[in-house]
Amino acid sequence: MDTLDFGRFSDPALLILTSLAGGEKHGYAMMEDIKAISGVRLGPGTLYGALSRLEQSGLIEALPADERRRPYKLTSRGNTYLRQTLSSLSNFVSLGLQRLEA
Amino acid sequence: MRMDRVRVWLMNLYPRAWRERYAAEFDVLLEQCLHSPLDAVDVFLGAVDAHLQLLNGEDLTWRMMNMLNKLRTTILLVFTAFIGFIVAGFSLVGLADDSPMIPLMKTNPALAAAWTTIQIGSVVALLAVLIGGLPLALTVVRQALAGDRRGMGLLLVPGFSFLVVVLYLGFVLLVGSGRIQIPGVVRVVQPGFFPAGNRLMLEGLMLVFILGAIASTLAVWKAISRTDTEHETFHAVGRNLTVRIYSFAFVLAVITTLAMLVMLVATVVWGWLSFSALPQVFTGNFGPWGTSTQAWFISIIVVMAVCTAMAFFGLRRGRPRQTGN
Repeated sequence: MDTLDFGRFSDPALLILTSLAGGEKHGYAMMEDIKAISGVRLGPGTLYGALSRLEQSGLIEALPADERRRPYKLTSRGNTYLRQTLSSLSNFVSLGLQRLEA
Repeated sequence: MRMDRVRVWLMNLYPRAWRERYAAEFDVLLEQCLHSPLDAVDVFLGAVDAHLQLLNGEDLTWRMMNMLNKLRTTILLVFTAFIGFIVAGFSLVGLADDSPMIPLMKTNPALAAAWTTIQIGSVVALLAVLIGGLPLALTVVRQALAGDRRGMGLLLVPGFSFLVVVLYLGFVLLVGSGRIQIPGVVRVVQPGFFPAGNRLMLEGLMLVFILGAIASTLAVWKAISRTDTEHETFHAVGRNLTVRIYSFAFVLAVITTLAMLVMLVATVVWGWLSFSALPQVFTGNFGPWGTSTQAWFISIIVVMAVCTAMAFFGLRRGRPRQTGN
């Protein structure tokens, strides 16, 4: 799982996973949520480029369509992956802050 | 209205397999957030990425859809090449007809063998196209009966085109026999003779034939492009027969292409032998409307060669590949 590589979609993928950690959402709701929590506005092409990769990797799954919108949710694999990635980032952030204070 | 067009255009940049999975939901998203040129650029880059993802992706469904798309393109390329080859082939028949090469073939076995090879090749290619296209045509008809009536209309175009050519030929024969006379439009000819010298009628025949070929090719492209099924089950003589329609058509496309190559070689040989035996014919003007025989023959060879190359290109593009797994 640690070897998953989303290329230039790494950051959008992490933003999407974090957004979905707060509950299932469709594309537009994800964009709004990501903008609210990170200040980043993902373009529609970038969002779906990352979404399709996450779906193929089994980190998220599509739910039955609500009219033409299709919501997505985090899978248990996606949950584990996000937890690991955020933990690594957290360790990295802590280390960086320690060095700044030293 | 303008933004709607941009949205549709951008969406069509994505690969078909991607669109089949994401188009509906992505379209809703674009309706809501495609506001600026930067958004359009982002979607454009997303489409490029989707193509790359499809080519290199690990997802089995995507890979299978991609392979189906490639097979379909191959079949259509070979079919188009075959139609082009037919047009060139009919020009060759027109060139040989009423020329001194016909009596020469009765006394020159090598020349006759080359001509027979062309004829056999044309029958093999035609049968391969008909047999390979049959399951595809039946699938289109089945889908048409299930509700997509447009597919049925598209399949009728080749038959309608053929009918128009036959009717036109009938018209030409009626003019040739003197039963129809259109003073000022169609030159009255001596009864019993095909009006070979009537430029207007011959140009008309050529026009009807070429337009029919183009219309048929476009209609078949459109009809087949709408068919995304690979496995189709047919009921015949009390049995169920499941056919992988595109894979089956690919095998027949290989046969069609090989037959085209054989015909191309046989045509070159036939031309070379004719030229050696009757150089005055090739330097003469036995082409349509008294044009240069040599120029027409070279044009025919060029068209045949281009069509054969196109068919081989199609086969190379759609050939099954080992995954290495």
